[in-house]
Amino acid sequence: MNPTTTTNQAIIGSDFSGISYPTREVLWNIDNVWLMYVMFAVSSVIAGYGIYRRVSLWRRGLPENRFDRPRYRLLMLLKHALGQRRTVREKSAAFFHTFIYTGFIILTVATTVVFLHHDFGLPLMEGDFYLYFQSFIVDVFGALVLVGVGIAAVRRLVLRPKKLVYTDESLLILAMIFLIVLTGFLIEGWRIAVTFDPWGRWSPFGYLVASASLSLMGESIKSLEAMATAHRITWWLHAIIVFGFIAWAPYTKMIHVITGPLNIYTARLEPSGAILKKIDFENPEAPLGVKTLTNFTWKDLVDFDACTECGRCTSVCPANAVGKELSPRDIILDLRNLMHAEGLRIADRGQFWLPIADLKRKNSAINPQSASRIGRNPQSVVGAFPSTSPEALWSCTTCGACMEACPVFIEQMPKIIDMRRYLVMEESDFPDTIQEAVTSLESRGHPFRGTQSTRLDWADGLDVKTLAGARDAEVLFWVGCGGALVERNQKVVRATAQLLEKAGVKFAILGREEKCTGDPARRVGNEFLFERLAKENIDKLNGYDVKKIVTLCPHCFNTIRNEYPQFGGHYEVYHHSEFLVMLVNEGKLKLPADKLENSGLNVTYHDPCYLGRHNGVYDAPRQLVQISSRSFVEMKQNRENGFCCGGGGGMSFVDEPKDKRVNQERARQALVTGADVVAVGCPFCLTMMEDGINARKGERDVRVMDVAELLWQSLI
Amino acid sequence: MNIIICLKQILDPEIPVRDFRIGPDKREAVRGNANLVTNIFCENALETALQLRERTGGKITALAFGAESAEDTLRKALAMKADEAVLVLNDGHPHPDPFTVAQVLAAAVRKIGACDLVMTGRESGDWGSGQTGGLIAEELGLPCISFVDHIEARGEGTDASLFVKRQTDNGWELLNAQPPLVVTITNNEFNVPRIPKTRDIMISARQPITKWTLEEIGVNAAEVRAGQSYYEVVDLAIPAKDVACQFVSGDTLEQKVENLAQRVIEVTRSL
Repeated sequence: MNPTTTTNQAIIGSDFSGISYPTREVLWNIDNVWLMYVMFAVSSVIAGYGIYRRVSLWRRGLPENRFDRPRYRLLMLLKHALGQRRTVREKSAAFFHTFIYTGFIILTVATTVVFLHHDFGLPLMEGDFYLYFQSFIVDVFGALVLVGVGIAAVRRLVLRPKKLVYTDESLLILAMIFLIVLTGFLIEGWRIAVTFDPWGRWSPFGYLVASASLSLMGESIKSLEAMATAHRITWWLHAIIVFGFIAWAPYTKMIHVITGPLNIYTARLEPSGAILKKIDFENPEAPLGVKTLTNFTWKDLVDFDACTECGRCTSVCPANAVGKELSPRDIILDLRNLMHAEGLRIADRGQFWLPIADLKRKNSAINPQSASRIGRNPQSVVGAFPSTSPEALWSCTTCGACMEACPVFIEQMPKIIDMRRYLVMEESDFPDTIQEAVTSLESRGHPFRGTQSTRLDWADGLDVKTLAGARDAEVLFWVGCGGALVERNQKVVRATAQLLEKAGVKFAILGREEKCTGDPARRVGNEFLFERLAKENIDKLNGYDVKKIVTLCPHCFNTIRNEYPQFGGHYEVYHHSEFLVMLVNEGKLKLPADKLENSGLNVTYHDPCYLGRHNGVYDAPRQLVQISSRSFVEMKQNRENGFCCGGGGGMSFVDEPKDKRVNQERARQALVTGADVVAVGCPFCLTMMEDGINARKGERDVRVMDVAELLWQSLI
Repeated sequence: MNIIICLKQILDPEIPVRDFRIGPDKREAVRGNANLVTNIFCENALETALQLRERTGGKITALAFGAESAEDTLRKALAMKADEAVLVLNDGHPHPDPFTVAQVLAAAVRKIGACDLVMTGRESGDWGSGQTGGLIAEELGLPCISFVDHIEARGEGTDASLFVKRQTDNGWELLNAQPPLVVTITNNEFNVPRIPKTRDIMISARQPITKWTLEEIGVNAAEVRAGQSYYEVVDLAIPAKDVACQFVSGDTLEQKVENLAQRVIEVTRSL
């Protein structure tokens, strides 16, 4: 290509002679530019309407404040929207999404620069900025988008991971993105070729197109004219696809470009253990849980529209992993589709929400089994889909893995609890074994029906004082029902109490005055009972003027620390692992130096969800394990990726089908580490893991022990 | 069909044995750490009544004779959807004998008025004498069918009758009965008490409960307050249970089995 070659064709070879700085002619070779503005206006109106409709759907939700602490929220936005911290956790997605996402940002900036240059007369398309950014960087990032689309296509068409949702929409989105960038390169290349652009090499991929075209078609005027024509046609094609995409995007999962950041900005800021909402029982009109979509808050509805269909929530769900009906992804998507279907009808008939029974005729996702449930219960979202069937809802362990995995901070678990609340409180419809636990909680203050243990059995022979008899105690040791009333766990309570005693901690227990914190009641959806238990306990704790609490059970820990403040209970709460580590670090518990070499234990540690994921306590129990064992080995799924034991969310009171037990899967994962001891920090995990290991261990002698037992063992 | 269902509040019979407490005079169980619950057979009776009402319509009145705390039992009955609740306040002996209780409940039934069916549990989970239902029938001069686990209404108007299924040692008896009558209810798999809906618990907290004193129902209040006119508890004890473990040894499996059998025979003979 020779820039000095001139022709008499006006269109061919721009006049660069008078220009000494790098630039290009904007809208070169394009007539009737007004048409582009018309297209832009039309697509903006269509897109705007799509966004407006979504927003008006969200506004039908109940109120909830998610705009407090704007600084934290902006930080979240920087970290997770702009920074994509969670998105890149997954390798394949990290590449394709980062390429497409960053490419799109750069290309949008570039287009805006052209717009400002052309329509606002800002001379941006000149000089170094034009060369480095507008030509080179934009070209490279455009190419990355193509690579990204390629990876995504291979993933979607060849690898086909189970967690993805396979829709035509997704393929069409990929195809459109691909075509937008491809046509972009074509028009750039032909412009470079035809105008003999002296700075063409700064756009390497456009230059590639130019060189290829010139070598294929020759440099004759005729072929240059052909390229100019192709340029013009492709330019309009490019415009049509771009504006079409803009118009269509808000009606597809591409809305996540808006709802993703919005959802991240309005994400919960508290630990996920504090996520469940209170119900105003004073108000007789207040819905008890979620029956229809309008019982959700606006934030729940935004959640539905924020979903990118990546499927990570379902892929990390322990219940799903063992073959149960539960799929957090499907809950979100089914409810999203329902919301849109209902929303359309609102527009049609000027009506709010129509009975869902009306919808079932049109929705193929509904199976006949659940359809009969709708018949019984015509307005309920519960049972409207397999994903929201009682079977599915009653297999959630509330472990929170779904929420932790979601790149856009969708809150799946609270929605499951909301639907359970409806089932339990409005319909009184729950599994028999949970019913027994709840009845026992109601009349006995603990969930273990038929236990022959009392709250003091574990302390036989120990000099443990109750608060009533030791008002000067500095620390309340909250034993918990799981610790006091289950025989195996009584050993853990004993070890912990002995450790506290050895360290000289002035502690006392509530003894018979202690009642369940209400965690199982709350997780199974009986908020009414939870509130009663919480208030009774808080009255008692405040009556004793309790300041500092050490709990044995992560569930008690979470409820007292994160949920009691909702009801006026404010305490300094420690899990026993945290407290014991403090005692070790302060030198109050000294380990004999020779002990460890002899212990010979190889230990792995299982993260209890309510200690780890829901409260971020990962290190304290590990420290305890490390100081009281010969070697420490991590399981593959650990810390925030920990896999539930299967006992949370009231599930330890449910008889799981033999071939679908979460604890056996976790036991398998623990056994492959080759450890002699599986350490835990939770009485529920302890019994679940012990059952799981016993069902699987074969010849090897593998024990399950609490971190406190391990420490006590290495001390004595 | 108007049903009156008699309910008793008792100490939770499911607490661990170690938590049972007996008063210093060894005549009364004392509350200790036990909670107060509704007697389970009474709840089976209420469930049976609720199911009967679902099929035939009518009104269910829950009736209790007890301390102020028995209000909880009546509130739970209201939450389970009984229509009305009446509490006859017991300000006398904490555990009056069945004769006294039956006298009071019968008087209350008469005061409530129109009633086709009086239902009680088969026995209570605390004293377990199983007398009250029959004695109420005696007081009211009505027939009584005991150990009933299912009731159906048959016919209309003057032909109306009740089809009643009662458990016996050998199976069931199926009876046709003419109301009014008294039945005592035992449990079966179909009358497991329902769990009240939270919404209904919230409503029940605001529902009125009719309260009558002994004087108001026209019984000999002094006699009732004394409580034990027909018999007297002289001693009450918690049965001691000895658990011991023995290992049976033997060189071969056959020997072990033989020794085990021998041991079983010895032990059973000594009993």
